[in-house]
Amino acid sequence: MAKSDDLALIIVGCRKGDARCFSRLVDMYSARCYGYFYRLTGNNDISDELLSELFVKLVEKIGSYKGGSFESWLFKIATNIFHDFLRGKQRRRKLLNARKEQLESEITEPKKSGNEQIDRLQIQLKRLDTDTKELIMLRFYSQLSFKEIAEIRSEPIGTTLAKLHRGLKKLREFMEGQHCG
Amino acid sequence: MDNRNDENLKELVEKFFDPEQAQMYLDDIEKGEQILHAHPAPEPDEMLIANIKAEIALRALPRRTTLVKRIAYSAAAVAATVIIITATSTNLFEKTTDVGTGPTREYASLFPWNNYETESFNTEVEQIESELMDLKLGREELNGDNDVSEMEIELIEIAGDFWKG
Repeated sequence: MAKSDDLALIIVGCRKGDARCFSRLVDMYSARCYGYFYRLTGNNDISDELLSELFVKLVEKIGSYKGGSFESWLFKIATNIFHDFLRGKQRRRKLLNARKEQLESEITEPKKSGNEQIDRLQIQLKRLDTDTKELIMLRFYSQLSFKEIAEIRSEPIGTTLAKLHRGLKKLREFMEGQHCG
Repeated sequence: MDNRNDENLKELVEKFFDPEQAQMYLDDIEKGEQILHAHPAPEPDEMLIANIKAEIALRALPRRTTLVKRIAYSAAAVAATVIIITATSTNLFEKTTDVGTGPTREYASLFPWNNYETESFNTEVEQIESELMDLKLGREELNGDNDVSEMEIELIEIAGDFWKG
């Protein structure tokens, strides 16, 4: 409860234009939001860009936050930013090139240590369709309830539940090497 | 910051599946998400975070200024409203026609109507009028221009007395 009270105070400070309060929000949410963008794009540079854009939008839009779940509001913005990114032709081209380079480097220089696991997941994630991947990442990084996720995605809760189950099951199969599709 | 991932999840799944299927469903979700936990995404670079904070500080400043301006404008609007309401209630902006009646009466009262002998003035005017009428009708003997000039002098004197008060 104390955490939510702190968050409420921070948001009040942000609405007054207090840069320190915005900094605290950056500290609180940057890792989760970055993870969300990274898992969706598979690219550090693009994730950097999208994260910056998210917090700039946060400053611009904090006045329109009308209470309720802050995470839900924040990740709704993050989702919109990701959708805008997908729509941008130039960015898409950049992403494709980056992925191409990434794949080439992976083929020529196989990674070891901790990064190996990270990359393995990233490779398997690419086999999922964007919508399913987005849903899995939204749930994992936003830590929202199904009801909130269904609201963000503007779809029935049963649909969200079914898509997530299917997606996670498929991801597990990919990771365990049981599925070749 | 509370993790609400599993909030009412069991109840929700049980709405769509029988208990056995629901449990399998929940297990699948749990195992799938264990993979994500086991493979953490990279964290943002410290330099990136510093840049974001600097960018935010730059953008938050105009926002703060705008906010102060908005508050100042609102305060000015409220003050203006209070002034107008107060002024209206104390008749500050009342129409000049209403205001005019008071002072005019005062000026009128300064004129010495009460002191002036209106009755004698009226009597004199009546007398002169009858004399003029007589002259016109030729009731009196005409003494030439002297009578008329005497009459004029008399009128001028009366008029002078009148304006002197």
